[in-house]
Amino acid sequence: MLGYSVRRLIQIVPILIGLVTVLFALLNILPGDPARMMAGPFADPDVVKTIREEMGFNRPLWVQYLDNLGNLARGEFGRSYQSRRPILQDLIEVFPKTIQLAIAAEVASALIGVWLGVIAAARRNGWADRLIMTIAALNLSFPLFWLALMLQIAFAVSLRLLPPSGYGIGFDRFIILPAFTLALPSLGLLARITRAALLEVMAEDYIRTARAKGLRNALVMRRHMLPNALIPIVSTIGADFVRLLGGIPIIEVIFAWPGIGKYAYDALVFRDLPALQASVVVLAVSVSLVNLAVDLLYAYINPRIRYV
Amino acid sequence: MHISIREFATSDWGRFQRSRLALAGVGVILLFMLLAAFAPYIVTDPTQIEMRREQDGQTLRPPFPPSRLNLFGTDQLGRDIFARVVYGLRTSLIVGILVRGISMVAGVLLGLISGFFPRYVDDLIMRITDIMLAFPVILLAMTVTAVLGPGLVTVCVALALVAWPDVARLVRGQALSIRGQTYVEAARCVGAGSWRILLRHVLPNCMGPIIVAFSMGIPGAIMYEAGLSFFGFGIQPPTPSLGSIISDGRGYITVAPWYPGFPGLVLTILVLSVNLVGDGLIDVMNPRAASGMQYNRSAT
Repeated sequence: MLGYSVRRLIQIVPILIGLVTVLFALLNILPGDPARMMAGPFADPDVVKTIREEMGFNRPLWVQYLDNLGNLARGEFGRSYQSRRPILQDLIEVFPKTIQLAIAAEVASALIGVWLGVIAAARRNGWADRLIMTIAALNLSFPLFWLALMLQIAFAVSLRLLPPSGYGIGFDRFIILPAFTLALPSLGLLARITRAALLEVMAEDYIRTARAKGLRNALVMRRHMLPNALIPIVSTIGADFVRLLGGIPIIEVIFAWPGIGKYAYDALVFRDLPALQASVVVLAVSVSLVNLAVDLLYAYINPRIRYV
Repeated sequence: MHISIREFATSDWGRFQRSRLALAGVGVILLFMLLAAFAPYIVTDPTQIEMRREQDGQTLRPPFPPSRLNLFGTDQLGRDIFARVVYGLRTSLIVGILVRGISMVAGVLLGLISGFFPRYVDDLIMRITDIMLAFPVILLAMTVTAVLGPGLVTVCVALALVAWPDVARLVRGQALSIRGQTYVEAARCVGAGSWRILLRHVLPNCMGPIIVAFSMGIPGAIMYEAGLSFFGFGIQPPTPSLGSIISDGRGYITVAPWYPGFPGLVLTILVLSVNLVGDGLIDVMNPRAASGMQYNRSAT
């Protein structure tokens, strides 16, 4: 299992090189001169020239590219064009906030989603089932940015219950709206998967046996059905966490949550290549780690799967 | 894939219900398509500005609330939001179908090649998909539109670029499982070339999953277009896009909630309808797969 994990981690390296290459190519086709951006719109041409030489923008592209790769390989992300600070320092500040938001959203959607799925499966084809499945389908169809706006209107502007945007320390009231917005689509997906997995298990002989020996319904659900339906549920939670990380830039920008998604967005707007590539690399590595964790968890839940 | 009415009727109640929902989805999509196609004959000019309105002896300033005159109200320039939404639907539908079309053709071709040709071709294509899939989708799409300059065509290119790897993966898997079948061996024995086998034997046998992937990918494309336009990376004014109308309406959230509200509602209904059709297709193509099917990476 350890060997398997190590091999999986090594496989990330060529992907990262590919990512950096694509980004480097794209950002160098981008119109706009980073030296001019740094100097400001009214800067003296000489200042722009000095910055260009200092930052090495006047060197041939392939030298810049190789230099960039070498720095990354040594774990040096460089300095942000925008904040002028070492990017590593920015990332250490910004990344935990994203993790905090993502975990809050995923825990909320896992708890509520599985719970709704269990209710729907237990009352199959009843009104509760139909209601839950309708809500699930609706949740999956909301555009995230619009949902965010509407929730801001409802809870921050009209009801004045929660702050509309911003960041507070710890698990504060600030996290509720962005986390809930992120959780809503996931919750719908999880409710559907849970219901489907439970319905599949329900047809098994051992469930009939459990019922036949007089076990209460709640106990059958908890002891016999849920554990056996867990594999698709866990794999969905994993895939969903990855999806959530993808949607996080949008939520962070709208809710002014100072996480890595907003950092990357600002970097893109500012044509800040080092900051953008560093955040993309960090996000890509986290996605790979989540995928690996899900695969390992898989093997733990289902002993029939063994990785060599 | 031919399904008779009787087969529909004999399936269990849940499936029937589901197919009824799918039919409702088809109805909504057709309605939206008609609206979008005949927009100039149905709604007023979406660029018509009206800066003041006399009503009950009072002079009103836009944004005007929903009324018989303006079904969805107007924006801050007095432009009819219903008209703008109908034209925005046009953009959404064009982008959804075009993006999914391009990414399906690219993904299917590369997937077939990957699953059927020598190992090194397969490795090359799969490593490229690995790289593309490792990108945070919305950031990559934004970067590409930033590079190419915003606009309808570049949005389609950017979104197709981020969407094809999923399709390639799916089709490769199908092609791999089909290439070991006896009928492929038989075709090879009678002297059929690789391309002929791919197009005449492998492709038709992966059609089910391909059709499902086509329909399931449209909502993602529509939402990403709206998301890009919302952040100013997508369709540029004066072309109306649901995303940019919502973005413009952001500042009027408190005084005119209808302004960002209705466009988003229409967008949600459109995406929901396409999702319902996708669910119905899954049920028809693969009756054994129960409800909860994976949605494509719809992150926006």
